[in-house]
Amino acid sequence: MTKLSKIGALVAAGGLALGIGVTSVAAETMYTPNMSYRTGPFAATGIPLMNGQRDYVNMLNARDGGVGGVMVDFEECETGYNTNKGVECYEKTKANAIVTQPWSTGITLQVLPRTNVDRIPILAPGYGFSPMSDGNTFAWAFNPPVSYWDGASMIMNFISDGDMNSLKGQKIALLHLDHPFGKEPLPLLEQYAEEYDFELVPIPVGLKEMQNQSAQWLQIRRERPDWVVMWGWGAMNAGALTEAVKTRFPMDKFVGVWWSGSDDDLIPLGEKAKGYKSISWNVPGDYPVIDAIKEHVVDAGNSMVEEPADMDKVFYQRGVVMSMFLVEGIKAAQEHFDVGAVNAEQLRWGLENLNITDELLEELGMAGMTAPFQTSCSNHTGHGGAWMLEWDGEKFVKASDLLKPDRASIEPLEKEKAAEYAENNAPWPGRDGLPCE
Amino acid sequence: MLYRTSGQFKTTYESDQALFPVKQDALLLGVILLAAYVVFPLTASEFTFKALLVPVLIYSLAAMGLNILTGYAGQLSLGTAGFMGVGAYACYKLTTIFPEMNVVVALALSGFFSAAVGVAFGLPSLRIKGFYLAIATLASQFFLVWLFEKWAWLYNYNASGAIEVRTMEFFGIVITGPTATPVTQYYFVLAVVTIIAFAMINLTRGRYGRMWKAVRDMDIAAELVGINLMRAKLTAFAVSSYVVGIAGALLVFFWKGAAEPNLFDIPLSFQILFIAIIGGLGSIIGNFLGAILLVALPVILNVLPDTLGLTINSATMEHVNDMIVGALIITFLIVEPHGLARFWALIREKLIIWPYPH
Amino acid sequence: METLYNILIDPFVQMYEAPDFLMQVLWEGLVSGVLYALIALGFVLIFKSSRIFNFAQGIMVVFAALTLVGLHENGVPAWLAVPLTLGVMYVLAVGIERVVLRPLVGQPDIILFMATIGVTLFLIGFGEFVFGGENKVMITEALGIPTGALEFNPFGGFVLIEEKDLTAVVMAVLLVFALITFLNYSSMGRAIRALGDDHQAALSVGISLSTIWVIVWFIAGVIALATGIVWGARAGVSFALEVIAYKALPVLMLGGLESVSGAIVGGLAIGILEKLFEIYWGQPFLGGNTETWFAFILALIVLLFRPQGLFGERIIERV
Repeated sequence: MTKLSKIGALVAAGGLALGIGVTSVAAETMYTPNMSYRTGPFAATGIPLMNGQRDYVNMLNARDGGVGGVMVDFEECETGYNTNKGVECYEKTKANAIVTQPWSTGITLQVLPRTNVDRIPILAPGYGFSPMSDGNTFAWAFNPPVSYWDGASMIMNFISDGDMNSLKGQKIALLHLDHPFGKEPLPLLEQYAEEYDFELVPIPVGLKEMQNQSAQWLQIRRERPDWVVMWGWGAMNAGALTEAVKTRFPMDKFVGVWWSGSDDDLIPLGEKAKGYKSISWNVPGDYPVIDAIKEHVVDAGNSMVEEPADMDKVFYQRGVVMSMFLVEGIKAAQEHFDVGAVNAEQLRWGLENLNITDELLEELGMAGMTAPFQTSCSNHTGHGGAWMLEWDGEKFVKASDLLKPDRASIEPLEKEKAAEYAENNAPWPGRDGLPCE
Repeated sequence: MLYRTSGQFKTTYESDQALFPVKQDALLLGVILLAAYVVFPLTASEFTFKALLVPVLIYSLAAMGLNILTGYAGQLSLGTAGFMGVGAYACYKLTTIFPEMNVVVALALSGFFSAAVGVAFGLPSLRIKGFYLAIATLASQFFLVWLFEKWAWLYNYNASGAIEVRTMEFFGIVITGPTATPVTQYYFVLAVVTIIAFAMINLTRGRYGRMWKAVRDMDIAAELVGINLMRAKLTAFAVSSYVVGIAGALLVFFWKGAAEPNLFDIPLSFQILFIAIIGGLGSIIGNFLGAILLVALPVILNVLPDTLGLTINSATMEHVNDMIVGALIITFLIVEPHGLARFWALIREKLIIWPYPH
Repeated sequence: METLYNILIDPFVQMYEAPDFLMQVLWEGLVSGVLYALIALGFVLIFKSSRIFNFAQGIMVVFAALTLVGLHENGVPAWLAVPLTLGVMYVLAVGIERVVLRPLVGQPDIILFMATIGVTLFLIGFGEFVFGGENKVMITEALGIPTGALEFNPFGGFVLIEEKDLTAVVMAVLLVFALITFLNYSSMGRAIRALGDDHQAALSVGISLSTIWVIVWFIAGVIALATGIVWGARAGVSFALEVIAYKALPVLMLGGLESVSGAIVGGLAIGILEKLFEIYWGQPFLGGNTETWFAFILALIVLLFRPQGLFGERIIERV
């Protein structure tokens, strides 16, 4: 940057601050901001994921010169998992962004109505509002490869050994973060509890109590549930696992959602946490894509990972998979519209026509890393399925075959809640004349 | 020169006590209002509305409410955000129970709910003073946020536990919800803030204002000269909470569009308190100055490194922002405990006597 | 009738029927209570000597713990990291005295209080700037704190007592004794108490205000480090710890701002009562998480009857 242009930029920035205009981004990059949190109580689980996301895009930029010849600008905006700040980030980035990645169910819910108006797709892989799967209602929102309700269904399926009727009379505690994210599985689990006659005990953990859950685990000790299912995030996971070890809760009866399975939370507990399970839509392992990232990004000093061993962890690799969804969406749009730099509307089409196949994964160096799936107009999630991972004392290992959600029981609920949402937020545009191709 | 007061004679007590004893003050206010009502809407971008103008107005209003209680009546409150939440949730419930209700009516009514809660939590102020009271107001803060989380009726049993603002019209113009344009929302907020600010300026200059100030300066002495302490303190709590509640409702309905309970947690209370301190306790104009500074600071800090060609990650800027605000508070308390408002008063004084030093 | 029974009688029946569980609840409450008491002690010490309500005490806990862990992460051995952290707390005490307190001498209490809120915010930003915002694990083992658990089997049930919690309690007791000895028997301690009793008189007999302030803030820093270590061992080290600082405020309301014994008794009482309330009433009837406000409401109710707190000195106001 020359001195003159620096001054120019400074003036432009001053103008921005005074409310004259917004700085523009050079035309030939695609701006895909990520609402990250590398600070605050959720940073510990956020950082590895965000490193993975960032490094995959940077690897493509370094190795292939971007996606389809266009560089991807993967900038981060810090939210600290604070909904308020997340919305600010959305407002700040929406002018040039082709996608918004809110990174919190709370933020997703708040930007959801705005994205319809601003016409920007939301990409919320593995999080967000489960009914977003209904693409005819939520035309601009995508949550591949599985939703929280899918996750709850797969977990219940796993703990009942495939026979939900065997849960009859059992007591299942849902230890969840008292935040939109943690409350997500409740509607489905309540429905299941009624249908299969088991007792569901929701145990909320407030944002202020994440690190000191002694009251919650005393409650678990008193209730003596057969299973504890955890919908935890950030510091809550480490807190819960520590308390579980402390109160000698049997680890093999403790199952977490995919965000409750970070290696970093379990390493300090080591052998003591052996048997803890977490469902996951990616399987950790050695993949060519990780080697490529190591070569082009980490070894080049452009990564934020602290040591290469971090790249073998479940969360880092999941971050890579998340960015892969985004990039495949871009590729699909580039091909369909025959353009280089896709815009937000085109990317929306791309995400609606994702087709992740085994061949494609093989080609990307990700064979077996995640389950194949396909999105469509009415299916914005894909529902690819997930695996149960188990902590063996040192690392997570695959402990089940590919699990599939029980779509027959989830889909009516999705439709119902989507309709309810549209009604509460009337006039809701729905597909708003977007063609379905 | 600009502020020459010579030639402006006051021949009655009324004119001496008038809101604008100096003509230029009125002129200046006119210019500011012109800028707010005409110039900004014509020039500002959507980002500016959402990130600067609307927040400044709403935060000023909340700080104004707090200032009534803390700056005028001397009752330190650390629970502002809780009362903002009451206003927001009341407005939400009113507009969902009575969908036909005009949003202005709902807004005005929701203030009464927060005023009632404010008075309830203000009752201990008759017995408890100083720091003890400050801590007592924290009780309302924590209890109310907990209530917003646990009382599902408040958020209409929404699965996410958040309240969402639906699209509402005001005489045919969409003013809330995602389709409302920032300019309309800005005008609406501006109108509300103008009206309330005008009311508050008059209130604080009148009988109640004087009563509050007497209580602030020394409550026992005030009682001795015949001021009914209970009445003075509770009216301060009521008026303050009313204004704060409206600010909370505006925050959710005209800015955020949705809210989770923890939006009203303690950081918001402190944000408002800092605005009031930096702006100047016991002043109305200070709230605006404080809000401008505290809202603009993070925005500028976010833009600055880019323009200097530095890449600093956004988390670092957050931390730097906290440090600067913390240091600013300390600096202001040391240099000028009466805040920015006092600075303005000093500048004005200098301008009046210019070019003479005294 | 049944609701009344459920609320008024049934919890006690439960307590009687599962005494081992009750003992566990009481122990957990006691441990939190000890920590609340420690933080409250830091507040009281500063308030007694300088009439400053130090809102930053909670963040000093986090800051001390972060410094300790941060130093250790950078290769400083634990035996050296502790004195170094104390050194940092000393520098902080001197810094606060020079930069914040000295220029504000003689200002109204409320101004000083707000200045400490400014200090809090600054320290949050500074701490995150230096040490990063993510959670850290307390270096429990390196400090030689035992990590096992003792199991007792009274009444046919079981009670688990973690050795680190036990260490916390023992450490707190020792600290309190040391502090009381210091305040009562050393000349510096007597000077601090003199300052607390009467500012003017203490100054007139030659007690140096600024020295005392630095020392008091440093002692508060030492207490903060001790609290940070034991609480960090329980719950990890992060800025989320600052919420426990808010818990110390109702303890102060209950115990009185000037009373060392009040802080201790208040802290223990609140720790135990809030846990009992949460387990036997909060979770079954109110949806849980009542610990966030229970202490405040309790203190508020007590204050309505005793505006100076349970142990506070009687407030005499003059015009």
